Amino acid sequence: MARKLLLAVLTIAVLGVLAAGAVFLGLFERSVVAKDIEQPLSAEQMKTLAKRGAYVAVAADCYACHVTKGGAPWAGGLPFETPFGTIYSTNISPDKEHGIGAWTRAEFHRAVRDGVGKQGHLYPAMPYASYRKLTVEDVDAVYAFLMSREPMKVANKANHLPFPFNIRQGLAFWNLVNLSSDTKTEIAGRSAQWNRGRYLTDALAHCGECHTPRNLTMGMKDSAYLQGAELEGVVAPDITKAGLTRMGFDPLVFASFMKSGISAQGAMTNQMFEVVHFSTQYFTADDLAAMSAYLFDLDKLPERTTPPAAPQPVAVSADVAASARASYLAVCASCHGGEGQGIPHVVVPLATNASLRLADARNLNKVILSGIPAQRFPGLERMQPMPGFAAHLTDQQVADLSNWLRASWGGQQPTVTAEEVRKQR
Amino acid sequence: MTIAMKPLSLTINDKPVGPINVPETMMMQDFLFEYLDLTGSRMGCGQGICHACTVVLEKPDGSLEEMRTCITGAHWFAGRKVRTVEGQAKRDASGTITALSPVQQAFIEHFSFQCGYCTPGFVTGATVLLDQLKRNPVRREALEQVISEALDRHICRCTGYVRYFEAVRDLVLKTPGLVKA
Repeated sequence: MARKLLLAVLTIAVLGVLAAGAVFLGLFERSVVAKDIEQPLSAEQMKTLAKRGAYVAVAADCYACHVTKGGAPWAGGLPFETPFGTIYSTNISPDKEHGIGAWTRAEFHRAVRDGVGKQGHLYPAMPYASYRKLTVEDVDAVYAFLMSREPMKVANKANHLPFPFNIRQGLAFWNLVNLSSDTKTEIAGRSAQWNRGRYLTDALAHCGECHTPRNLTMGMKDSAYLQGAELEGVVAPDITKAGLTRMGFDPLVFASFMKSGISAQGAMTNQMFEVVHFSTQYFTADDLAAMSAYLFDLDKLPERTTPPAAPQPVAVSADVAASARASYLAVCASCHGGEGQGIPHVVVPLATNASLRLADARNLNKVILSGIPAQRFPGLERMQPMPGFAAHLTDQQVADLSNWLRASWGGQQPTVTAEEVRKQR
Repeated sequence: MTIAMKPLSLTINDKPVGPINVPETMMMQDFLFEYLDLTGSRMGCGQGICHACTVVLEKPDGSLEEMRTCITGAHWFAGRKVRTVEGQAKRDASGTITALSPVQQAFIEHFSFQCGYCTPGFVTGATVLLDQLKRNPVRREALEQVISEALDRHICRCTGYVRYFEAVRDLVLKTPGLVKA
């Protein structure tokens, strides 16, 4: 009996090891790249596609990650600090030695859509889980466009990942759990505008990579699609219809915010500043409208929209109000105004600011502590630098100020504690 | 609309000031100008960029910090010690200037300024820098960088930057203890 049990356990263990081995070797990995992609594109096709590819690459925001400030174009090198170690983006200029110059059309497709590059598995910092939904035509266009760039002789930087995360083949497990073979974004019965918006949101602009929280395996948690996630100590907000409405956006204002980076709801900061800078400011009016229509779940973006009602102020204790008002008048009011109205073209308003309306106070607290550098926006707009007040306000003063601002203008409960502020310093 | 007033007391240029009833929304710059007739610190941009309006904050531990008066409320300075550009030179009992501060003297000797609008801010910034170097001397090779970092934020429309820079560098080099061997 005991021998039989032992045999059964052993069999299960061996099968388990075999299954894991099979996954590891990629036997279960399903490529979404069809056989016909092996067929190379003609020089004529490459030339025509490259033109359109410039826009597709902008909409997919490739450049933001595949360049460093002052670095060679498309040569990569941008560090990504992940919980598992540091990963560097790679050289995707057409240099034959360091870039993708020697890559075939199919190899490029497999990297972008399957997450398997010519030299092995990619890490999901490259948003291939989203790019998997790109159309063949769009991937071809980006391929042709990249191949038309100047080759950059810049070596790739080595990642700093400890064992076992340094074994690229291990990503086969992640891919098994987190990659779907269903790559269609189109939903029958919805308008072309809505569907284009969905394609932009889910495939090209890969919004969910930051705005959808991650599950235990660090894949996008489908059940909380676009409902907001933590990112480098701040919050990538909820951008569902409910979330955008809560921040004070209506569909037209939101479309214009993605173009300009500035609205009554504030100015883009953190990583979204770069998204506007490199990508969404160049969106066509149709694509901006489509993205907004999809996120607000409208089949057609209306000609006129009305902003959602301002949130009802929440009462705070007299102590908190007194402390916060003194801080506000001392260090905020000269720029943001006595009524939180800001200065047009110079300083954002606070009374209508989206950061004050988020359930999570960390974005506001971080700005109070660390400030925001001067930022240039499309259309010659420029927001002046905001100083950080970490040295001039105590944890309690920041908590009081944050609570008072959020309660008065954001309609949020005053729940921020000095301890939470201390952790953010 | 009535403007809410609040009593304010502080120390300016070693002298106790107040309590004076000051609008609670008033910026320090306006308080210095309108209530105390201390018009040395300049209103430039009014939004904390040009640093012509700065004054020295003398902290309880004796160290100095530069503060922008155009964007900092007067009441933030309640109970604190401030030195404006009027309080930099030495004066006799009658209030007559007997000696400029070392920074002021260096700026004059180097012909650092033309119109002089940014000068009070540069005097303040350089004075704070010297205080910091006294506490934390720098290596000689880092000095230029340190001066740049400390004074870059001061804007001079006559573009007198080079002479301000040279004046500060020479003063640091001839003042013992600010530069490490």
